[in-house]
Amino acid sequence: MTAQSVVVDVLLAAGVALAVAGSVGVLLMASPLDRLHYVTPVSVVSAVVVAAAVVVKESFDARGLKAILVAVTLLFLGPVLTQATARAARVEQHGDWRLEAGEKRRGRR
Amino acid sequence: MNAWLAAAAVVVATLLPVGIFSFRGPMFDRVVGLELASVLGTLALVLLAEGFDRDIYFDLAVVFAVASFAGTLAFVRFLERWL
Repeated sequence: MTAQSVVVDVLLAAGVALAVAGSVGVLLMASPLDRLHYVTPVSVVSAVVVAAAVVVKESFDARGLKAILVAVTLLFLGPVLTQATARAARVEQHGDWRLEAGEKRRGRR
Repeated sequence: MNAWLAAAAVVVATLLPVGIFSFRGPMFDRVVGLELASVLGTLALVLLAEGFDRDIYFDLAVVFAVASFAGTLAFVRFLERWL
């Protein structure tokens, strides 16, 4: 077993474990906004880690570059989709995405 | 079975509960399930492409990533504006 295969296996295990953890988080959370927090790490970190595993194995040939293209696509488009979904969920709950009168931002003291 | 195919099997197995989740519950919970299923499907295609040693499968993953983004975004905007 070479160092390259060990690195590939570790990266693969990390990417898949994160994907499974994100899926469990989505299934267990109570509201759509809470669930969305578990989608973005899968689309951002898992995709990059899996692409890194492909690049470590194949170097920067056609496969490596296509894996990077997939990772970059998910890296930039995933958060956009998450933001759009959160906004739509907020509009569905409150009629508008902006703060209502007297409402405080979540997470701020 | 190599490590790539084993990883793909785990990701595809994860797609099953997420797929069931997308068929049940409130509307936006289903959208979140669809969004996650799109990402998992893209990852599974990349892993299968490497596992089966086929270059052409990577193209499928690229197309699926872009097309699923456009489809889900259109779906979300439709829900926001008209439902």
